[in-house]
Amino acid sequence: MRVTFPHLGNAYIAVESLLRGLGHEPVTPPPTNRRTLERGSFHSPAELCLPFKIALGNMLDGLDQGADCVLMIGGWGPCRLGYYAEIQRLLLEAVGRDVEFITLEVPRGIYSRYWNHFRRLTSGARLGHVLRGARLAWAKLNAVEALENLALQTRPRETQHAMTTQFLKRQLDLVRRAASLKEVEDVLHSARQGFLQLRESGSGQGWPLRLGVVGEIYTVVEPLANLNLEERLGNLGVEVVRTISLAGWVTDHIFKKALGCDITAPLRRLAAGYLRGFVGGHGLETIARSAALAKERVDGIVHILPLSCMPEVVAKGILPAVSRDHQIPVLSLVVDEHTAECGFQTRLEAFVDFVQRRVGQRVGQKQACLPWS
Amino acid sequence: MPLKAFVGHVRFLARQGLGLLWVPQVISLVRGEYTCPNLLGLPDLVRQYVSPSVRLLTPVLDARRGKRQLDRGYLSWGLQFAALPRVLRAWQKACVVQRSWEEEQGRGHPAGSALTILLLGPGYLVDDAYLNGNLQRKLQELGVAVVRADLPDAVTVPACRYLTKRPYWTTTRRALGALEHFRRTVDGVISIAPFGCGAEAMQGVLVNQRLRGANLPYLELYVDEHSSPVGLHTRLEAFCDLLERKKSG
Repeated sequence: MRVTFPHLGNAYIAVESLLRGLGHEPVTPPPTNRRTLERGSFHSPAELCLPFKIALGNMLDGLDQGADCVLMIGGWGPCRLGYYAEIQRLLLEAVGRDVEFITLEVPRGIYSRYWNHFRRLTSGARLGHVLRGARLAWAKLNAVEALENLALQTRPRETQHAMTTQFLKRQLDLVRRAASLKEVEDVLHSARQGFLQLRESGSGQGWPLRLGVVGEIYTVVEPLANLNLEERLGNLGVEVVRTISLAGWVTDHIFKKALGCDITAPLRRLAAGYLRGFVGGHGLETIARSAALAKERVDGIVHILPLSCMPEVVAKGILPAVSRDHQIPVLSLVVDEHTAECGFQTRLEAFVDFVQRRVGQRVGQKQACLPWS
Repeated sequence: MPLKAFVGHVRFLARQGLGLLWVPQVISLVRGEYTCPNLLGLPDLVRQYVSPSVRLLTPVLDARRGKRQLDRGYLSWGLQFAALPRVLRAWQKACVVQRSWEEEQGRGHPAGSALTILLLGPGYLVDDAYLNGNLQRKLQELGVAVVRADLPDAVTVPACRYLTKRPYWTTTRRALGALEHFRRTVDGVISIAPFGCGAEAMQGVLVNQRLRGANLPYLELYVDEHSSPVGLHTRLEAFCDLLERKKSG
């Protein structure tokens, strides 16, 4: 089968390997861009959230490239993500794109459907092949994440503007092309050296500001949805501390949930006093991680959510209390398809300025540079 | 928006100087389903807006694992105040009242009007004349009989079987079940939802898909704190005109 799937940050690198292992041909949609979003929003109801629209755009792009099947994740609420696939199938059907959807979720209800999906996915694949593909995919997912984290640390310390982003792009491409675990390991190893070389040398640099990013997973990891938030902050001389990792999400929500573990217990402990339990999506995570970040050496928190995201609205209402109790500045950014870059940048700059003034001038702080300077 | 209204009520009550406030955490009312995520965090959200001296009474109502768990939620909450026999007596009394109310709901099917409309929407909006811009009253003035989507789960769950995946929000599932049930007897469908309601956006797609072949007009209304009843009424009038014209051929 020629299988397409929506983007989630750089996860496509791992998904491609997984699908090849299963004996399918991955049809990776072109990198998410403005046009993807416009296409997706055109076919979706206005009230749906940004991730839904981008994902739909990705699917349309993928189908244009000749895919005959869509791979999507599902779930059982209360976040809307769990029902995405159903609605997207109906919307595609309405525009005459009657395609097969394979939804990955914990089976419930009619089991024969899941069995059929499973058979479709695994038919014609040898077990050894599948396992090798899965291992490679997992290694790639971890490698991608390690690279992205290195970039986050390097960007505020880089000597030349935008070098880190370029370097990261090259390394991600190498990971994507890697065909074995050994190759992935090699790329990671050389990339570590490469990132070190991009940094400013000398020890008198002091520390850049550190801002934690929390929020809804899609808007945190997808650069188009958050208008390159991480890159923007990095260019303003801020080290971004990510609290959401894709590999962690896969472990928690697929493996641990399938085994019946309670993944919310540690989060509930962290969020104690603010939120008593699960509210769907990443609402609890947002509160828990914010409280945890506030106790670490982090100077501020940026909270990002798509407009009308149900769980994050709750989190947004409670975050001011976290901010008050822990004396930590919090900026909540709501994004949708109408978010303008200028206003976004202005708010980030103002927040960074504010945090910088608050923690006092640090030695050797990289100047928050204007785009034209 | 209903959250804002709720917080408004809470603050009004808190200003009256009361010390106890009943804000349940409604996680789920039916096995395997959820209410709205905003309700899940409601007590914690309300906590931010009232002074610490106000005590919140928060029973946890969670039926994700079945009705027994839900009942246990009520009872264990009751045990905070009284001994078990008394709690059980109160619980039985409450059950009786609830059942008689439910039976009453099922009966009144209005007839005799020219037009019948199925009104979908969450109870806090459909029943709140201020929040919905006096919607029900306006429909009455237009001579339209309104059918509410309050049907027992025994009807709506089987009615939703045609969907490949059962919606996991109780309100959405009930609305779709009611739509299935009344599809052949009503002249039009109106849904009302607060702006930014997540489940409603998806429900709209499902309703549209179901009504596409059925030749049944569908009006989606969204309200928020900026909407004016005048615009709403114009749309209602236009919609009813359309229904009348359609009916008279």
